[in-house]
Amino acid sequence: MSPFAIAMGLLVVVFTAVTVYATDFSLAGIVEDLGRPNSSFAGLLHLDWTQVTNTRALSAFVETVQMAVIGTIVGGFAALPLALWNSRVGAPNNAVYTIAKAFNNVVRAIPDVLWALLFVAMVGIGVLPGILSLIFFSIAVTSKLTSDVLDGIDLGPVEAAHATGAGHTAMLRTAIVPQVLSSYISFLLYNFELNLRASAVLGLVGAGGIGQLIDFYRNARAWRQVWGLIVLFFIITFLVERLSLYFRRRLV
Amino acid sequence: MSHPEMDTDVESSRQERAAAAVRPEKGMEVFRWVVTMVVVALLAWGLTADIRFNRLLGAIPAFGRILWLMFRDPDWSALPGLVSAMWESIAIAWLGTVLATIVSIPMAFLAAENLAPRPVVFVVRQVFNVLRAIPELILAVAFIPVFGLTARTGVMAIAVGSVGTLGKLCYEIIEGLDRGPIEAADAVGATSPQRLRWGVLPQVMPELASFAMYRFEVNIRASAVLGVVGAGGIGTLLSQYISFKVWERAGIALVVVIVATIAVDAVSGRIRRRIVTGPDGTVDDSSIDPDALGEASIIVHDRGGGPGGAGDQ
Repeated sequence: MSPFAIAMGLLVVVFTAVTVYATDFSLAGIVEDLGRPNSSFAGLLHLDWTQVTNTRALSAFVETVQMAVIGTIVGGFAALPLALWNSRVGAPNNAVYTIAKAFNNVVRAIPDVLWALLFVAMVGIGVLPGILSLIFFSIAVTSKLTSDVLDGIDLGPVEAAHATGAGHTAMLRTAIVPQVLSSYISFLLYNFELNLRASAVLGLVGAGGIGQLIDFYRNARAWRQVWGLIVLFFIITFLVERLSLYFRRRLV
Repeated sequence: MSHPEMDTDVESSRQERAAAAVRPEKGMEVFRWVVTMVVVALLAWGLTADIRFNRLLGAIPAFGRILWLMFRDPDWSALPGLVSAMWESIAIAWLGTVLATIVSIPMAFLAAENLAPRPVVFVVRQVFNVLRAIPELILAVAFIPVFGLTARTGVMAIAVGSVGTLGKLCYEIIEGLDRGPIEAADAVGATSPQRLRWGVLPQVMPELASFAMYRFEVNIRASAVLGVVGAGGIGTLLSQYISFKVWERAGIALVVVIVATIAVDAVSGRIRRRIVTGPDGTVDDSSIDPDALGEASIIVHDRGGGPGGAGDQ
């Protein structure tokens, strides 16, 4: 084994031991906890299937999907220029490159629920803070993924565009965007799946959608209903994922 | 006048090249139009939700005001508590990822078509699909009555939530194993553990280790907010400071989360690059592209994880 592999192995073991200590984790404790009867798993055994056809649950779900749709479209479109500026070849100058990179790094480091907490504090509860959070979350995901692809593009067309005297925008449009377009679109579809999953939890902090209903039942200790909603959620995300995968495969 | 023969030569090769070049098809125009219409229609439908856009006007001044309150006179006494809470989040993410990796490897063997019988493959893959679909925060909500309002709940939520993705990647690696090194090990009389050590592990380890590290980066973001429902880490403080508008502390909390996440990303990213490239920075196995293990490539080349490996071209 190489010294690097040995060092990594040691590091993993040591770090794991430290984190076991930090989180006070023990397998015996987990087994013991699982052995005790608890309201959550008892609810799972008798989950409330009527949630799948419940009109209140379904309308909360429509709201969730609407939030995900707007977040993906608005955030996804804003992500394209940010992704272009995030690469040396696509940025018009160094200042734009540095600012775009810093902006992307910060936006990427803030989790979806934290965005929701902040926007709920700014505009109040409801669908609007949810949409705003998803817009920023989409910018983070799509611009990161797209700029990863941008790093590996063929520079030939860029040179060709410069040789014909094309301006920066014309060069982006004719030499760079066509090379990343199909990946970009599949990232948008993938981002939509992520947004759907994220928008289901934003409601836990008051940002609209199915999460609000989950939070309501959770506070009422109505675990049968909570699990019913989770089943409904799974059915919908599963269908959306199949659909998105079908389109994404068409694109490559 | 130029040579007539040469002229026709040039002309014919020009035509050949023109024919070989990819021309935008007429169908493309129609397709683009349809896509635009679908996007506009979806957006219009989305906007029918109860959004109350008038509040958006107040958002920008509110944003400025909050930033001002956050960093005008930050309450530095909150920093030590925040750093130790963030450390707990990192620990939750790490331990969750380690547990998920340990559990998903044996499960992946049962989900690999070339090793397990079809009914078993089908069942295990459905388990992966279910786990992949449910967000960690929802799992945490469901686990709190079982494991209590402790970091242990967070670890279990992260671990269970990661088994789906790690398992899926793992069975795809197993199904793509090259028989060559295994046969070579057999040919020199290797025992079973030796065959595993020299024939299988070198193929599996780089990709699996790199993806597990990547998953750790993703899980940090999830574990930073698990505390919102009381499952440990910095999320509890974050949600308290923000909901009760303790801005002079919320600002520091935000900075701690951002700095810690970026720092872990940077370290983990370096290690991932080092895993797939050799010690001198060059790839020692030409079949592995250093960037091929990024999230981008996994999405573009998603091989699908449906029943019976639908779409494994």
